[in-house]
Amino acid sequence: MFEHRKPIAVPAPANSPPHDPQRRRLTAAVGAAAVSGLGAPFVHAQQKTIRFLNCEPGRDNVRALRVAAAEYERLSGVRVVIDTVPPDQAYDKLQASISAGTPYDVSGLIFVAHVVLLAEAGKLVPLTKLINKHKWGPSILFPVKGEQYWYPYDYNFCWMYYRKDLYEQKGLKVPTSWDQMLDNAKALTDGQRFGVSHPIGSNGAGQWMSIGYMWADGVKLLDDRWNLALEAPDMRKRFASYLDFMKKLSGSMPPGMSQALFATVIGQYTGNQAAMVPYAGRLMEVIEDRAPELAAKTGFFMYPDSAGKSVAVNHGYDGWVVVNTPMREESLKFMDWFTENQYINFLHTAPLHFQPPRLDVYDDRRWRAHPLIEKHGELVDFMRSILTRKDVIIRSVDTEGPAPDVRPGKMFESFGIMEAVQNRLLKDMPAAEATDLAVRKLKAALG
Amino acid sequence: MRGFTTPADRVILAAFVLSVCLVGALIAIPVAHAIQLSFYEAQSFVSERRFVGLANYARVLADPAFWKAFALGLGFAVIAMGAQLVLGIGFALLLNQPLRGQALVRGAVVLPYLLPTVVIAVTAHWLLDGAFGLFTHWALQLGFGRPAWYDHPVSAALLVIIASVWTWTPFVTITFLAGLQGIPSSLYEAARVDGAGAWMRFWHVTLPMLKPVLVVVILLRSIWMFNKFDIVWLLTKGGPLGATEHLPVMAYRRAFNQFDVGGGAAVATLSFLVLSLMIAVYFWRFPLDDKAAS
Repeated sequence: MFEHRKPIAVPAPANSPPHDPQRRRLTAAVGAAAVSGLGAPFVHAQQKTIRFLNCEPGRDNVRALRVAAAEYERLSGVRVVIDTVPPDQAYDKLQASISAGTPYDVSGLIFVAHVVLLAEAGKLVPLTKLINKHKWGPSILFPVKGEQYWYPYDYNFCWMYYRKDLYEQKGLKVPTSWDQMLDNAKALTDGQRFGVSHPIGSNGAGQWMSIGYMWADGVKLLDDRWNLALEAPDMRKRFASYLDFMKKLSGSMPPGMSQALFATVIGQYTGNQAAMVPYAGRLMEVIEDRAPELAAKTGFFMYPDSAGKSVAVNHGYDGWVVVNTPMREESLKFMDWFTENQYINFLHTAPLHFQPPRLDVYDDRRWRAHPLIEKHGELVDFMRSILTRKDVIIRSVDTEGPAPDVRPGKMFESFGIMEAVQNRLLKDMPAAEATDLAVRKLKAALG
Repeated sequence: MRGFTTPADRVILAAFVLSVCLVGALIAIPVAHAIQLSFYEAQSFVSERRFVGLANYARVLADPAFWKAFALGLGFAVIAMGAQLVLGIGFALLLNQPLRGQALVRGAVVLPYLLPTVVIAVTAHWLLDGAFGLFTHWALQLGFGRPAWYDHPVSAALLVIIASVWTWTPFVTITFLAGLQGIPSSLYEAARVDGAGAWMRFWHVTLPMLKPVLVVVILLRSIWMFNKFDIVWLLTKGGPLGATEHLPVMAYRRAFNQFDVGGGAAVATLSFLVLSLMIAVYFWRFPLDDKAAS
């Protein structure tokens, strides 16, 4: 409810001695200055303020949040202040705000382990009631001790894009196995253009974009008892095969991929330097924005396995948490309003990239009304099929294991998988040896 | 002892107290906090901490990666500092000669030092991009194929060193140039009269006269290069395969990425101790006093 600012009355002392006019004016001026200074916090306290740490720094994302904040203030009188940081800095900034005693009330987070750590430390407020209002797709809710602390807004799956026109020119078919993938990549490598591009550095880009083949081939890192499944002989063999496949694929990749990041891959595809690249819906948005002539020439497929029997995507996910602050009740009210009234507006700020985790959104005409969603119906159907097809494997290093936990997060940050890829590709280390090193590294990370 | 009686004395006292407070607030307290954290096990900065004594130190010191990072940092500091010193003195000697447009040339020499590190890193990335980098293009045209600048551990480490040398050599140049201009020309004239050639004059006049500057420059550059985080992080993030992961990068990654706040703090504290020890030894071996200049 909006609370009006109350004027601050300053009563004159009843027994104040008479002063000369100049002194009285001076006293009044000093008094007014002091009262206004001291009164400022009181006046500000009249209006409740929610501090929202946004980790989607795109112009449209920020705009949508600010518009929503202004609308909420108009309706409720509660001010919502939006601060924005890059996604990978949200957790650090949130921690710093909590440590400094001025925590944000709502924050975006992009890593399950961070949600788990904050929830276990009692820093988050359950959002279970909000979550239970809707049906959700698979592998997107990460409950901690039976409560939901995280409101997802994006699946962030990673799949492969390819140039349909080049495929036609070379008489190629969409690959359904590693061998076909290798053949296609080789056939598409042509002078200034490379067949395929995969980041292989020890970073999030590498681990999001380059290991889908391994998931498709049935590799698992953890079993249901938190043991390192990769230690098992069968898994070692599969992982070593994946490393050998990547070694062969690297012959069709640009050099310098150990430093490649998300933008590198986008630049390579839109700049006609790579014919196949991994990414989520963002790539199509960038194509529409910067290289629209490529939109009709771009197709997509999921990561194939070695035998042509299975496909996979690498998991991503983004969401919001409500922090346990004195404003938690107001924050929950805001989130309730925001997720019911502004969720689709927010998703529209990256219409193809923010793949809705809430199933009701797919049939919502407001969501489908976005021109890019209408235009790219085939891509949207493809994205939705990831949720509905039983044969699609959805995995990521940080979501491995039987439940949300910090341990897979530690494995993710050890970059043991990417180091194995680098050992195989850059040092030409035998796959079995690189696998041994990866097992050791991941085991050490698990503790 | 004379009291702080005059206004000038009181200004000096106020400035001293202010600087002590600033150093305390901005350096001493964070350092003390980091050292304190190194005795605790914590997965994040907001998680519950458990006191573990020296266990983090034992764990870090037993990790071969720590010693690899230490050796890398030492090598990086020594090579980069050595190159900066040689080039810096050389450029200072050149710029100390009378030449046309001297002021312009001197100004141009300082330019790399004025550029923000992030600009240097981004420029390097564009120049060396494996697909469309200018250097990659030239290498292709010259028949060297596409060099994988960042993909080889040695070339990645060399890139970091070259970028550091390019950026911070101007600091050494300017410092030595200032030192050179303080050397009385009568000393060179006396040396000439005694029949000393250019090399002898440099060795027996210039270098001894520059010794105080040299001591300070070596000290500062060594500390800065050993602790240099930004250029390494922006260029390689410690990769590939940890080839450029020195102690500051390791401390950051442990504390902020790998859920090991205590381990990260222990690495940072050990780095601080090693550096302090090296500085103490350095000052003991090369004392900064008036005699050194004479």
